[in-house]
Amino acid sequence: MKKVRLRDICWYRSGDKGDISNIGLMAKNEKIYQIIKRQVTPEKVKAHFKDWVKGEVIIYPMDNLLALEIVMYQALGGGATKTLRIDQTGKAMGNALAWMEVEVPDDFVVPK
Amino acid sequence: MKKVKIAGCSAGWPDMMDPAIEVAEKSDAKYLAFDHLAELTMAILERQKAKRPDRGYIPDVIPLMKKLLPIWKEKRFKMISNAGGANPEQCAEEIIKLAKNLGIIGFRIGIITGDDLPIERVKELRAKGIKFRNLDTGEPDIDRVINDLVAAYVYIGADRIIEALDQGADLVIGGRISDNSLFVGPWMYEFGWKYEDAYWDRIGAAVCTAHLLECGTWSCGTCSNFWEEVPEPWHSGAPICEMGEDGNSIITKVEGSGGLVRADTLKEHLVYEVHDPENYIMPDGIGDTTAIKLEDIGPNKVRISKLGNKPRGKPRPSTLKFCLAYLDGYISEYIMIVPGPKAYDMAKRCEEFFYKRLEIVGLKPVETLVSFIGYNALFGPTAPPIDYSPNELGVRFAIKTRTLEEAREARLQATLSWYAAGVGTAFGAPSEREVLALWPTLIPREEVPTKLEMREVK
Repeated sequence: MKKVRLRDICWYRSGDKGDISNIGLMAKNEKIYQIIKRQVTPEKVKAHFKDWVKGEVIIYPMDNLLALEIVMYQALGGGATKTLRIDQTGKAMGNALAWMEVEVPDDFVVPK
Repeated sequence: MKKVKIAGCSAGWPDMMDPAIEVAEKSDAKYLAFDHLAELTMAILERQKAKRPDRGYIPDVIPLMKKLLPIWKEKRFKMISNAGGANPEQCAEEIIKLAKNLGIIGFRIGIITGDDLPIERVKELRAKGIKFRNLDTGEPDIDRVINDLVAAYVYIGADRIIEALDQGADLVIGGRISDNSLFVGPWMYEFGWKYEDAYWDRIGAAVCTAHLLECGTWSCGTCSNFWEEVPEPWHSGAPICEMGEDGNSIITKVEGSGGLVRADTLKEHLVYEVHDPENYIMPDGIGDTTAIKLEDIGPNKVRISKLGNKPRGKPRPSTLKFCLAYLDGYISEYIMIVPGPKAYDMAKRCEEFFYKRLEIVGLKPVETLVSFIGYNALFGPTAPPIDYSPNELGVRFAIKTRTLEEAREARLQATLSWYAAGVGTAFGAPSEREVLALWPTLIPREEVPTKLEMREVK
């Protein structure tokens, strides 16, 4: 097994509703979808964001889009109007998640 | 089969105006829908209106209409907009004035009101025993903030839009009409769909599809993962969607415009801010975004259709999203830029200086955040340890306080931390701002009586 970062195998877009941050994480192909579906867990996501995500993390699979909808509570420092973060609406939360690593087989080829 | 085209002409405030003009000029879309509001926008507009009763709407609507109305005269498309913000009546008044100046006659405007609730009304509802649980934090009711409330508004559905169109409106203008309903409304009207069992599948399809359109050019390759391959985003086309009576549709954009419409660019928007994908809760119905399929069928042409037998929608909820805005202290910010060599070490030294200064002057802010632009301002604690030497770093101080005086004092100490940096540090413009915090909750639908008024430019 070897490790790759999500940024090399997925697309992503994140947004906000109040203090809830959501990340749509889209696998570049079916094989990758199976990998992220198994390995991108609420526990791992919460650990990755450390004290930036204070509440629960829920992950919904979207088989039709090969995507995961990741919903993170108390994740924006109080929400767009209250937060001290420069990224008030958490548009870069997807990019931040994309630094996370997952394990892939040794013969795995990163898609273009 | 009857088909109806709607274009998504605005993503928020502010936005580019020319994609809308281009749609009006060059496409055969029957409806142009404009979403101008975001969560915070309404609270800002309410505050503007409190200061000046003739404000509180999105001012951009005037220059926009100035360009659109002469085209409307020739083409007679319909427009649906939530630019009214906190003051739809005044917004309509200004548009009527403009239309008269442009010599437009017979232009009919449907004005929808009733989405913003006076604070007194909120108190009455509480007296009736209704509780406003905070959807973010779970706090059971608004006791803690009741005296700090400044605005309260409900995300209303398409009911009145349908009625206005039925009465011949050329422009429907309202306040906090849900982004989604600006699209679902005209489709429901055109296809004769009702809020009844026979229609939830198709209304659900419209809810999911509207989500792809309500952010305008966003689904045509702006703010995209595919930004490197998106052609000429500076004149990106707005999405145009032709839906059939079966709820299936095709999304394109104006020929010759910039941007990119591909299953991928729509997909990245379909996953945006949806939360539970099987229950995308909107005032007109609950959409299931896992029950639809996106397919590329040509250049800048994507088909959206039903996937299998799963219903695309469920009945609309009995409650509406209700947002209360309340005063919650102040935030001050300060940014300076430290140069290399050793920019990171210098930034750390400035951070230390700032916290020591707070101690010396005895200031205890509610919350502070010091971040380094170029390293962890976006990535926060997920940023890996710095293993390179940046040319320069921005040092950003953000401080939350209870009073304006504290906010000023804290910012002054942040400004002074410049002393800790080496030679060559540059400083930016400081500012303080009042915080309007939001309390998202739900309200029973029947407690929000809306109103439609029809006016005509004669």
